[in-house]
Amino acid sequence: MEVGRLPISAALKGKLVSAGYTSLSLLSSLSPSHLARDLNISENEALDILKHAPHDGRIDTSGGHHIISGAQTAWDMLHEEELLTRITTSSVDIDNILGGGISCREVTEIGGVPGIGKTQLGIQLAVNVQLPVHCGGLGGKAIYIDTEGSFMVERVLQIAEACWDDMLANNAISQNVHAGQVGMQPKDFLENILYFRVCSYTEQIALINYLDKFISEHRDVKIVVVDSITFHFRQDFEDMALRTRLLSGMALKLMKLAKKFCLAVVLLNQVTTKYAEGSFQLTLALGDSWSHACTNRIILYWNGNERYAYIDKSPSLRSASAPYAVTARGIRNNVSNCKRIKLM
Amino acid sequence: MASLKRLETEFPILDPDFQSFCALRGIFTVQDFLIRDLQSLVADAEQQPSSERFMQAINQVLYVIDGLHQPWLNGVDLMEDAQKNKHVLSTGCEGMDFLLRGGLRRGQVTELAGPSSSGKTQFCLLTASTVAYKHMGGVIYIDTGNSFSAKRIARFLNQISCPASEEMQPRVLQEVMNSILCHSVYDIFSMFDVLHCLESKLKYQVMCRGDNDERLIIIDSISSLITPILGSSGSQGRALMVSAMSLLKKLAHEYNLAVLVTNHTVGGDGGIPKPALGESWKTLPHVRLLLSRDCGSNTYQVSLLKHPSIASGKAAKFIIND
Repeated sequence: MEVGRLPISAALKGKLVSAGYTSLSLLSSLSPSHLARDLNISENEALDILKHAPHDGRIDTSGGHHIISGAQTAWDMLHEEELLTRITTSSVDIDNILGGGISCREVTEIGGVPGIGKTQLGIQLAVNVQLPVHCGGLGGKAIYIDTEGSFMVERVLQIAEACWDDMLANNAISQNVHAGQVGMQPKDFLENILYFRVCSYTEQIALINYLDKFISEHRDVKIVVVDSITFHFRQDFEDMALRTRLLSGMALKLMKLAKKFCLAVVLLNQVTTKYAEGSFQLTLALGDSWSHACTNRIILYWNGNERYAYIDKSPSLRSASAPYAVTARGIRNNVSNCKRIKLM
Repeated sequence: MASLKRLETEFPILDPDFQSFCALRGIFTVQDFLIRDLQSLVADAEQQPSSERFMQAINQVLYVIDGLHQPWLNGVDLMEDAQKNKHVLSTGCEGMDFLLRGGLRRGQVTELAGPSSSGKTQFCLLTASTVAYKHMGGVIYIDTGNSFSAKRIARFLNQISCPASEEMQPRVLQEVMNSILCHSVYDIFSMFDVLHCLESKLKYQVMCRGDNDERLIIIDSISSLITPILGSSGSQGRALMVSAMSLLKKLAHEYNLAVLVTNHTVGGDGGIPKPALGESWKTLPHVRLLLSRDCGSNTYQVSLLKHPSIASGKAAKFIIND
């Protein structure tokens, strides 16, 4: 890297260049006092400049024996993964195939035909993330990015009330009622959902760029739901190459958000038809290059009269299907008509 | 690039007089020496009072430069290097090992392309576990999609070491898993940073101990880093792609590492998927494989698109158990 790009004052840059230090590799393994003498500056300023010099291999950093700084060994990650809690979806069957729920630090894409319950699932997750940890949530806030306008506040209140009833019922059963523990009212659930409405793809990209700064100021956000990620990219895009570039850039930023702030990112996607192997098949929208931009993928589909969720892509979960139902109380297990409806 | 001042400690002939002679002509480093016109410098030196010393100093610098380029190798040297260093790493997958005649070769870059959910990450995790366990080598896993799953690695290691479905000893498991390092990068410049850092650390290891521990670099997936920059007006994206690959090839050859990168596919003619990243990418990896999965099952099909010493078009099937 050239010295001209360092974040130091122009006067210092001029001194560096006239003394012959035109590239950063010349600064490595140079002591601050030597540099200070050469350039006729104070030692503090020399230290500032040397901060940007690449560290020589000889200087063994005290941060451990890792060959690359910032890397983790698989053993450490194994322990971290065991400690990660997941966000329940309120349907025990779906939670079972997901290994407990939606996991943090991963981008999960959920796609399906219109009317299958994607927005309902998104709203359920935005409510569930606020539950305390022993109830299956993370005790955090949710960011809901709405691109289609399908977010209905009355429905959120309905789901929040059902969730609160369930939480009370569970606490009464386990006889763990402390006065302050069940302090959340249904209206509090609404307060903790931060809602953004975007109306064009530029707004969407700008918002995702802005989320990094926003979440550093609101550290208790634990889930970001984007409903839906496809809407503004499907119409009026003449330049498909540009669309591919924008989408893959957006995918990387979301991945980085998920990892950096240890939150879950849930993207809701629509379906389209694809011509493959001689017939038209239903597949998720935005093309092949987008299809690998998520860590996990869940496809929601109809099987007869029942709704099913199918894990299509996951690094550690087996492919499995589970039925679920969309009820007045939110997403719940599917109970067939001949069974009595049991209390949750 | 060494500066002349620093060379003075090793070669006292490059004294401050010579340095100020060069500085007047804008030459501070060895790199400047290479760029400036040597003949005019020599002519200038001859007109100076201490011309003989200056000529000696110029010759000294040229001698230093000569010692820095890669040595010439002949066929016998390459053959010895191949037999001694460039061994084959088993991938843990019988079908793939059979197709590649042993596995991934150290010193070569292998590309694995496939549509979404076709088993690329599973294969990368399996190969990482196998190399860490069987070959006792370090694995660097560069992950761009948060898909590195340590639990899955532990499951693979249990399968490899104790086929009778016993649990592996925790101490052994810890030692093997400590040799797999995972780093998350989300843009191509961070990847360059990581690779440069790795290069300097490997150089240091070789300097101290004569050999390095690492055997395998996996980048899953390199196409998600390259797609955002490829294709816009200007060829900067392609230039970055090519320089990334040339850095990987250099690391592979100099430090005897195998490199495995994954790529996604796009629709080709007639709906048949073809690897992404375009025509200029096709020439870059040494070995290219195309992976697909039978729907809903654990059986995978892989075909060989390009290989330096095996005819392309061969195919194989393999199963990865849960």
